[in-house]
Amino acid sequence: MIELVHVWKQYQPPAWALADVSLVVQRGELGFITGPSGSGKSTLLKILYREVLPTHGRIRINDVDIIRIPDSKIYSLRRSMGVVFQNFRLLPRRRVFENVAVALRVLGTPARDLKRKVFIALRMVHLHHRIWDFPAELSYGEQQRVAIARAVVNNPSILLADEPTGNLDPDLAAEIMGLFREIHRQGTTVLVCTHDRDLVRRFGGRVFTLQEGKLRGGGAG
Amino acid sequence: MIIPRLREAGSAALRNCRQSKTGHLVSLAVIALAFLTVGLFLSLANNFRARAAELGRNAAIVFYLRADLPPVEREAIARQIRAAPLVAGAEIFEAEDARNRFLNDFPGLADVVVSLGRNPFPVSIEAALKNAAAPAEAVQALIARIRENPGVEDAVFNRKAADRIRALGRLAEALGFGFGGLLVAASIVVISGVIKLNVLARRDEIEILRLVGASNSYLRGPYLLEGLLLGIAGGAAALALTALAERLFSSFVGDALGPLGEIIAFGSLTALQSLGLVAAGGLAGIAGSASALARFTRI
Repeated sequence: MIELVHVWKQYQPPAWALADVSLVVQRGELGFITGPSGSGKSTLLKILYREVLPTHGRIRINDVDIIRIPDSKIYSLRRSMGVVFQNFRLLPRRRVFENVAVALRVLGTPARDLKRKVFIALRMVHLHHRIWDFPAELSYGEQQRVAIARAVVNNPSILLADEPTGNLDPDLAAEIMGLFREIHRQGTTVLVCTHDRDLVRRFGGRVFTLQEGKLRGGGAG
Repeated sequence: MIIPRLREAGSAALRNCRQSKTGHLVSLAVIALAFLTVGLFLSLANNFRARAAELGRNAAIVFYLRADLPPVEREAIARQIRAAPLVAGAEIFEAEDARNRFLNDFPGLADVVVSLGRNPFPVSIEAALKNAAAPAEAVQALIARIRENPGVEDAVFNRKAADRIRALGRLAEALGFGFGGLLVAASIVVISGVIKLNVLARRDEIEILRLVGASNSYLRGPYLLEGLLLGIAGGAAALALTALAERLFSSFVGDALGPLGEIIAFGSLTALQSLGLVAAGGLAGIAGSASALARFTRI
């Protein structure tokens, strides 16, 4: 479960990137955070994976107060979640296999398990035939699918996605969203930030709307 | 789990080394130079120590006698010396014996001796000590007593020379550690710079690894290993260069120094010193990496 209680975030005074945001995403729920550019969607996600700290407020993920986690232990939080970005953030000089395997290597997964899990993750995103290609040899949609495979390869309880379809055409965007729905059906809590309201409407799920850092709909409860 | 991680960190470290060859070669050269300095001074000190030990083992007092002293009186002085409890034995060396011994020890100086036209060496009595480490006060008292004889012109105790050479050895060691220490500090700065550049070049990759849950030790491992490998390679190169310098010196310079060549020479490093040199290289490498990573507190 993800729980934010009266969360505020300020980068530069006087503007607030997030202003008194409270929301709850239940375990196994599919949620969307929508809103225009600059509304605080990415900030909210960054706070959830502890890239930034909130100025005020409380955040609990799976009953852990993540603000209290020391910097040196943040990796333990990140191992419980997968994160997908708009710009994919793949390792350009590593092949598809290595890009996915990296999430298992940091856990010290034995080689045999690692190969099996990487193959399963890539098959789920229909890219098992491109395993030895480099990211530059793939289309944008394929690169995003590699990023999704990397995010789910270690079976995280939470999947966060920051504008995952921002660089994709509508058909590819729908395909990627289909993957998120599939991952959600397998029991993962999925929280997707997107400004594409049409896409959200097509895929259902709980919708949180942010506007100028304030939550306008779908909040706590 | 440790071995696969080490293997992974090792291959990442080697990949880093391959990808920035120039920086790594510069680091390697600086480390090798630093430890070559330490190695050469240690090697010099080893030779000083060996010479001093040799002289110390043969500790003797040489009493020089007046040339016109009758043989009976020479023998009387020798008896007086032999009677001293410190002395193991005393032998009279005639001027001719002393000359022959010098020519035998220093053949390169034969021309000088011959050109003098006369034998410059005095008659002497050499007293060997029972204990090479006999107290200096007791030895000095014996010398003073024997010198009271009017037939004794001078006395030389060669342990002083051994002590002086030993002191030279200590000086060489101190200089080696002093100069070498400065160069090692410089090499740590260079390694730190190279590692820092590597970290900066891989900022994106590090960021991605952090996002997928890499711990600090996982992120730092390859860079520390990179520094360690660099340091060990530098230390090993310094060791090889020291051995080469020893050989070249004895082949090309040693003879030119004449009798001094015995003292100013390089003694081979001991196994412990060699191991220490390489290990110190590795430590310098780790120190360089650690200092580079310390500035990037987020990894």
